Amino acid sequence: MDQFLQHILNALILGGTYALLGIGLTLIFGIMRVVNFTHGELYTFGAYMMFMFVMPLQLNFFLALILAVLLGVVLGAMIEFILLKPLRGADIDTTMLIMIGAWITMQNMEQFAWSGIAKSIDNPFPVDPLVIGTISVSWNRIFMFAVASALIAGTYALIRWTKLGKAMRATFQDPETAALMGVRINSVYIATFALGSGLAAAAGALLGPIIVVYPTMGDLAALKAFAIVILGGLGSVAGATIGGFILAMMEELGAGYISSGYRDAMGFLLIIIILLFRPTGLFAQKERVG
Amino acid sequence: MLKVEGLTCAYGKVTAVRDLSMEVREGELVTLIGANGAGKTSTLKAISGVLAPAEGRIEFDGDDITGASARAVLQKGIAHCPEGRRIFPYMTVRENLELGCFLRSDRDGISEDMQHIFDRFPILQERSSQAAGTLSGGEQQMLAISRALMSRPRLILFDEPSLGLAPNLVERTFEIIEQIRADGVTVVMVEQNALAALELCDHSYVLESGEVTLSGSGSQLLKNKKVQKAYLGG
Repeated sequence: MDQFLQHILNALILGGTYALLGIGLTLIFGIMRVVNFTHGELYTFGAYMMFMFVMPLQLNFFLALILAVLLGVVLGAMIEFILLKPLRGADIDTTMLIMIGAWITMQNMEQFAWSGIAKSIDNPFPVDPLVIGTISVSWNRIFMFAVASALIAGTYALIRWTKLGKAMRATFQDPETAALMGVRINSVYIATFALGSGLAAAAGALLGPIIVVYPTMGDLAALKAFAIVILGGLGSVAGATIGGFILAMMEELGAGYISSGYRDAMGFLLIIIILLFRPTGLFAQKERVG
Repeated sequence: MLKVEGLTCAYGKVTAVRDLSMEVREGELVTLIGANGAGKTSTLKAISGVLAPAEGRIEFDGDDITGASARAVLQKGIAHCPEGRRIFPYMTVRENLELGCFLRSDRDGISEDMQHIFDRFPILQERSSQAAGTLSGGEQQMLAISRALMSRPRLILFDEPSLGLAPNLVERTFEIIEQIRADGVTVVMVEQNALAALELCDHSYVLESGEVTLSGSGSQLLKNKKVQKAYLGG
């Protein structure tokens, strides 16, 4: 029983970052109809920025986190502006090829800049974990969960209550009519891509100090993000959140009770099963955002 | 108030509107009638800025608005109530109305207008926090019209407001549009229901294959043999 509780706790904490990854991807797909292959690279970018600020530059850990996320937002906005804006109205194959090219380019640039050797990032948290009864959790992970939860809640609030959020939802549902209302569609697209990228960078910056950072770390993360999005239903933010937690739960329990060697396979097994029975994903009757 | 000269619109190689000219004076209700594919909707889209015209010139209050963005046109005071209502189905009724006044920032004016709309259409107030997609067709049309009004336009473009509505609702919709005109808003309306359109309007343009083939006052056109034969079933 204790071991079970420990697994559940670990899954909750991991699920937070998975949800961040999934929400970013689902927003971009839902609103822009762009399959974002650079998503994993934004995650890697966030992790490397965290490394750069904390290790060589010796910046404060928390300040480094904020900077890493902001730079992720800026990089996302640049990708949108430079690569996607000229492709508006192009067919989906062209956009996909360009994004795959960007993914490969970014990954190689990361390798070039930081070498292929994995890096670790120091953290300022106490070495002794928090122990409650028989379960224990490191302070670093608690911090990661708290920040991820705050970002998820913030994203919800933005979509639900702000003017930008309403413009995003209107654009998702009917871009032409949204334009008739005075919504600047191009601004909505750039904001969406920047937001999604910032969330991916945040996931990388939060996980970087817990795992190690290496150039291809984004590949598996992106694959999982796609899985989460499919699981939750394309375009559904709530679905991506819950999907993130389900995937983490599956991995933790699978690794704990079956075999840790199959950890990453568990989630995908679950997705195959869910898609067999609910091809639109768990939470989407129709594609939607919000 | 609105002047269109030599407007030509094309989708790729297909020309939808050819050399169309029309004029709307302040306070008028002008209709465009014609069969499917005659270019009525494209004309409205070109005016409101969602379709870039290939040729021609559109003037509003003496300002050239040819090829201006939808946002810029709306800012000038032209609202477009599109064909098929096009409400945002997953957003609440209130959110739909809020999008109607997306460019306004006068909070007091907005809540005043919102209240005004709720007084006029109590059903919208009753359902204000319901998803707009759950409304009936007639209610959705009320919402679409109200949403267009929320921008406080001086000119509204209505595209087929009676489309897909039950006969009693069609009548009600036309009453609402007349009321809007009586309130001082200029109206341009595209309508398949030629009889109603001609009875309602000050001036009408008949479109065929993208060109204006006839124009005149509503009563003139109602008496016109060709119009009677082609559009009024007699």
